[in-house]
Amino acid sequence: MTETPRIVLFQCQWCLFSPADQDWVDHQLPKNILLVKVPCTGRINPLYILNAVQGGADGVMVSGCLPEQCHFKTGNIGARRQLEAFADYLHHIGYERDRVRFLWLDLQDRGIIQKELAAFEAQIEPLGPAKNLAAREFETAGGANA
Amino acid sequence: MPDIDALKAEAKRILDEGVVEMVIGFRAGDTPLHPQPAFFKTAEEVDALVYDPLCQNNLAAYLTRFPKTQKIGMLVRGCENRSVNALVFEGRHPREALYLIGVPCEGIIDWRRIVENTGEEVISVVEQSGGAILVESKAGSFTFEKSALLHESCSRCIHPNPLSADVVIGEARPEGDPALARKEVVDFAALPMEERNAWFRQEAERCIRCYACREACPMCYCEECFVDHISPRWTESGATPAGMQGWHIVRAFHQTGRCTSCGACERACPMDIKMTYLTEKLNEDMRQKYSFEAGMDAVTPPPFSTITLDDKSRFVI
Repeated sequence: MTETPRIVLFQCQWCLFSPADQDWVDHQLPKNILLVKVPCTGRINPLYILNAVQGGADGVMVSGCLPEQCHFKTGNIGARRQLEAFADYLHHIGYERDRVRFLWLDLQDRGIIQKELAAFEAQIEPLGPAKNLAAREFETAGGANA
Repeated sequence: MPDIDALKAEAKRILDEGVVEMVIGFRAGDTPLHPQPAFFKTAEEVDALVYDPLCQNNLAAYLTRFPKTQKIGMLVRGCENRSVNALVFEGRHPREALYLIGVPCEGIIDWRRIVENTGEEVISVVEQSGGAILVESKAGSFTFEKSALLHESCSRCIHPNPLSADVVIGEARPEGDPALARKEVVDFAALPMEERNAWFRQEAERCIRCYACREACPMCYCEECFVDHISPRWTESGATPAGMQGWHIVRAFHQTGRCTSCGACERACPMDIKMTYLTEKLNEDMRQKYSFEAGMDAVTPPPFSTITLDDKSRFVI
């Protein structure tokens, strides 16, 4: 098992404005981060989060556009209600609330995704590996990250 | 107890006058402990109608199994009425094609608590005025306090009275205490994380996946359940500990803002698995964040089917 926390990053494909950020997310993500690009945070079914959690993720980060800047008008607002309730619900049965982080990215703010991921890693590192709901080994390669 | 003759008379009247084509109620089952849901199509059949505290099904679960054009009469208690409201909001049956005979509910008895004391071979169960339950079994006769036998969901019921019934038979009951309803989930949330998780695993992993909870729940009416879906497989769904956990997590989560706390899932469970600590948590969440209770009327959209910009949340900007 690696020392660094294993993170699943659900990234909205519309809110990484600068090509440098996009390139970093696409090609230079550290190995402990699994990228799942989604067309909108509203597309994230809570079951995806559960899959990540059962797949052995120590943290789940959902990053999307600011309210009122959603590419599909209101997708992120709809996602907020469901995902927030789901995270609280997971906390109820044994997956710490701090392990799930939601992020609203400002389109103009360059390099923010790297800073936020680092901050998130620092946040979940003291919690140690998440064992309570994990069922499978974490997949380090696969999907867009391979 | 509502007057059973008045119930029968009303059911007969609506069938005779053609208000409805069918009345959903209860009839005597194989043993006195298990009255069964029954579907009465003629006034003569209604003579078999029974109603007692052992009628444990949520009849609203049958609503979605009939065509929307069919006019249906139904016996409803507080929770069933709210389930019907939620189903009407979701467009599962037009309210105009329903005739609800409301019964203020005094709570459902958990038959397991009777059997614990009297053995399986129960001959008769009689409710006496004043709240005593007289049980005759092969092991002898027993008297219980009704309050001691009530199902857990019923002992913390907030709304025992039907809210939108066409006719109410029986006297209205006092509303329950919301603090009491909250107690279970508040107590559970106060436990340390590891204990909560251990309890959840212990309960979930006893599951035999008979899906009785799904069948008993009025809000579980999907043609194809996520757990039956093989490709793509939405989540862990095998007969493994993770699959059991996944099923319990998502089944309850799909009831967010729709669950009326009737407890039919728990009563249906053959393994006696506790489930309401999950659904109650979500209900409590909806109550706190959006001041929403499922099924209080048939027009307010549940939190997940509407959006607003001014939610307070922990999304980071």
